[in-house]
Amino acid sequence: MRIPINWLEEHVKLPGKLSELTNRLTYAGHMLDKIDKVNENTVIDLELRGNRADCYSIMGIAKEVSALFKTPLKNVDLLKIKSAQKIKDINITVKSRYLQRVMSVKITDAKIGKSPGWLKDRLMEYGITSINNIVDLTNYVMVETGQPMHAFDFDKVGSDLEIRTAEKNEKIVTFLGDEIVLDKDDLVWANKGSILSVAGAIGGKNHSISDDTKNVLLEAASYDQANIRRTVHRHNLLTDAGLRHEKDLDPNLVELGFCRFLYLLDKNGWGDIAESALDFYPKPIHPWKVSLNYDYLKSFSGVDINKENLKADLKWLNFITQEETAEKIDVLCPTYRTDVKLEEDLIEEIIRLYGYEKIPASVLSLETPENITPDYVNQEIELKNHMIHMGYDEVISSPFVIPDYQKLNFSLSEKASPVTIINRPSPEIEEMRMTLIPSLLGFVKKIINERGEEARIFEIGKIYFQKNDKYIEKRVLGISYWKKSKKGFRKFKGYLDSLIKLMRLADIKFKAIKIPQIYNSYNLILNNEIVGVGGQIDDIYFAEIYLDALLGKSEKQKVNLWQKYPPQIEDLTIKIPKQVEIGKVIQSIKSANKMISKVTFTDRYKDNYTFRIYYQHSDKTLGDKEVEEIRKVIVSAVKKQ
Amino acid sequence: MREDILNIKNQSIARITEIGSQTELSELKVEFLGRKGKINKLIKDIKRLSDEDKKEAGRAINDTKAAIEQAIQSKIEELETHKLLHVKWFDPTVPGIPYKIGHLHPTTIVVNEMFDIFKHLGFSIIEGPEIESDLYNFEKLNLPKDHPARSLQDALYVEDPEVVLRTHTSSVEVRALSTIKPPFRLVVAGKCYRYEKVNASNNAIFYQFQGFSLQSGLSMADLKGTLFYFAKSFFGEKREFRFRCKYYPEVEPGAGLDINCAFCNKKGCQVCKGRGWIEMLGSGMIHPNILQGMGYDPKKISGFAFGMGLDRIVMDRFGIKDIRSLYNGDIQYDL
Repeated sequence: MRIPINWLEEHVKLPGKLSELTNRLTYAGHMLDKIDKVNENTVIDLELRGNRADCYSIMGIAKEVSALFKTPLKNVDLLKIKSAQKIKDINITVKSRYLQRVMSVKITDAKIGKSPGWLKDRLMEYGITSINNIVDLTNYVMVETGQPMHAFDFDKVGSDLEIRTAEKNEKIVTFLGDEIVLDKDDLVWANKGSILSVAGAIGGKNHSISDDTKNVLLEAASYDQANIRRTVHRHNLLTDAGLRHEKDLDPNLVELGFCRFLYLLDKNGWGDIAESALDFYPKPIHPWKVSLNYDYLKSFSGVDINKENLKADLKWLNFITQEETAEKIDVLCPTYRTDVKLEEDLIEEIIRLYGYEKIPASVLSLETPENITPDYVNQEIELKNHMIHMGYDEVISSPFVIPDYQKLNFSLSEKASPVTIINRPSPEIEEMRMTLIPSLLGFVKKIINERGEEARIFEIGKIYFQKNDKYIEKRVLGISYWKKSKKGFRKFKGYLDSLIKLMRLADIKFKAIKIPQIYNSYNLILNNEIVGVGGQIDDIYFAEIYLDALLGKSEKQKVNLWQKYPPQIEDLTIKIPKQVEIGKVIQSIKSANKMISKVTFTDRYKDNYTFRIYYQHSDKTLGDKEVEEIRKVIVSAVKKQ
Repeated sequence: MREDILNIKNQSIARITEIGSQTELSELKVEFLGRKGKINKLIKDIKRLSDEDKKEAGRAINDTKAAIEQAIQSKIEELETHKLLHVKWFDPTVPGIPYKIGHLHPTTIVVNEMFDIFKHLGFSIIEGPEIESDLYNFEKLNLPKDHPARSLQDALYVEDPEVVLRTHTSSVEVRALSTIKPPFRLVVAGKCYRYEKVNASNNAIFYQFQGFSLQSGLSMADLKGTLFYFAKSFFGEKREFRFRCKYYPEVEPGAGLDINCAFCNKKGCQVCKGRGWIEMLGSGMIHPNILQGMGYDPKKISGFAFGMGLDRIVMDRFGIKDIRSLYNGDIQYDL
């Protein structure tokens, strides 16, 4: 909120230096946002706390300054008025429990005109446009005291007014000329025929003060915060009044604002005030008690604050100290402090005045709790390291699918539907990804367009879907590979093989499957469970691995020492008919004899496949005859395939 | 004669020192030590000398021969060690064959660094769901339906009004409070979502880092100490920090942590919007209403919590200007 310094100074003595004022306010919870000058006057803009409805005013901030600098508040002139159940010539009926208090008075023979310079300037410094003296004065008093109020043209509103909730689809044209279609929860001021104002937010066009206004009906009220907040947000009416009413305003503030207005009106001779005013206040709010335990204050805040000092601070904040024992003290909260309800709220008040900057920064001295980091966290950190070891770059993509790729957004592993957003701020925020493929493809295509030679990217993130009325989030690793020249599945498969090795999941098997949109697709299978899926779109290879399915499945980490006796190595070329899976052939070679320590695939010409076989014995070097025996076993094993 | 011998010794050793290749060395060896070499010539020449001189000259020649042999030997070793035997011209500036290395995403780098700092303080790491109920995202966090603070967190709705994409990682705090037995210290880093029109400085998706602890005896001083330790470890001992009163509905008392603006050193500039300070983190003692809602007695056990947006920190660290670049594939890792 913008606070013109000279206005603030009317209410409280300020420290010599502006920075001293703004620093203290900042530490105490009202951060200085910026400083500027209007009409040669300095205006400080404070970022106010959402729970301090009382601070949305010059006088509210003055109270803070008074407590922070221990300097008394200056006197504010008010015009006290007799209260009555009813006003002459008009009936105001309250038909909703959303109204907590209303004061209203008739002002006759009003002198409507342009505002004098002091009034215009003040509003300009705060940031409100001048309209006429009466409307401007309601705004002036609102900024000064924090209490919004409204002035109607008395002769236009009729003799029967109601404060009630609207009927659905009732309409009002605001003084700004906008039409609002109301909801049945909206609180309004109305007469027999029409809506006069949206309570707490904005006045209507047809009943507002104009140059021809002779008599004025002034009202100041307090409403149910939640109700006003709903209305204000439903119709986007965050006006200066709405901004204050949507917070917890003190009903006792109504009187202060009302009487301040009357004083200023009277002083300027802008109308005759009726003898008495309506004050409807069925459930008056009185100060409430909060207890403070000294030991709790000390252990909770971490500072030992002198009792006398803290009592003095509370007094400066207008808390009234009551009963005190060695352990605790009871205080009465001023009713404008709607934010202080609990002991902890009071503790904040005490340390705020004591100074947050003086709280010691102690290193956690309590016993260290046990480490409960779940395995999946470490799994992700480890996997990221594996991927960058293989030269893959990590990407993070938006979980919303780009419209261009939506046709690729289908669940690869189960029957499920996408999670969609109802309130879309822009068209691309619609559908959440059910696979990482669309984002990975998009990112790889970007690299291709940027004339990259090669793309190796991965992402660890979630995929989201809806299944049996439940929302499911699944952690996955997505990998994608593309190379300008030397295309081929084997290169990508090499990375997958290495990854499997790094994850110590040697039992993962590949199985060809058919997915219509994806070329050469396959599943990764571990112990009969699908743990991943892969395939190809255009020249781009990708795989998606389901991380939860792999948790706790890794084999123990181990190291091998070099064997004492070197292996015999030979290349063996075998003719293998079409449609036989090469993986199975290698498996059958490996399991043909336990002296075969390693089998690699080296070359292929048509149907002839060359394998490099390592024959090795732990206690001796194998002789040619022994190798020949094993070779025979291999050949017959492969033939059985 | 004596002079001749000395000359040959000096000459040969000087030349050996200059030699850069095995061939030159072999030639020199022949020239001095060969059958028709200079040493043999000297031996022939001493025949002409008197017996006494012969003895002396012989000794000198032997010394010289030994010296030359030793010099040659050490040259051979030198040539071998420097592998100059075969290479004549070597250019170390020739570029290597590129080896592709992988990179972590800037956000991951920052998150990992933060995790490491908090591990030192005995924090564990957890995560939670992103599709969240209103109950866990708002209600249980002391944010009832019509609370003014809800305006700051307009949610993306999956189902109105009960299912949202989490607007902050505080939802994980609520889940932890309701399931994990204290004492605990936990940090969370993850995606959050808000109803936001996307532009260079706002995004509907962003990353948050959150920490919280629940333990008997925790105080505001513990919170401040934890935050200062973290901030100094992460941003450096030289930065200044400001711990001030701030309102958040999830905590009471509440506190904000600001860091001095590195661009203007607190004088006020474009980056810090003239404030001299940059807001970094929100924190406080877990609100007693929240603890009570979880069945704890706030007078017996207390907790603190803090949270910060990560994207701004990542952007500052890596000099990224547009928030969208973080999550749209715009980052170019070297190739």
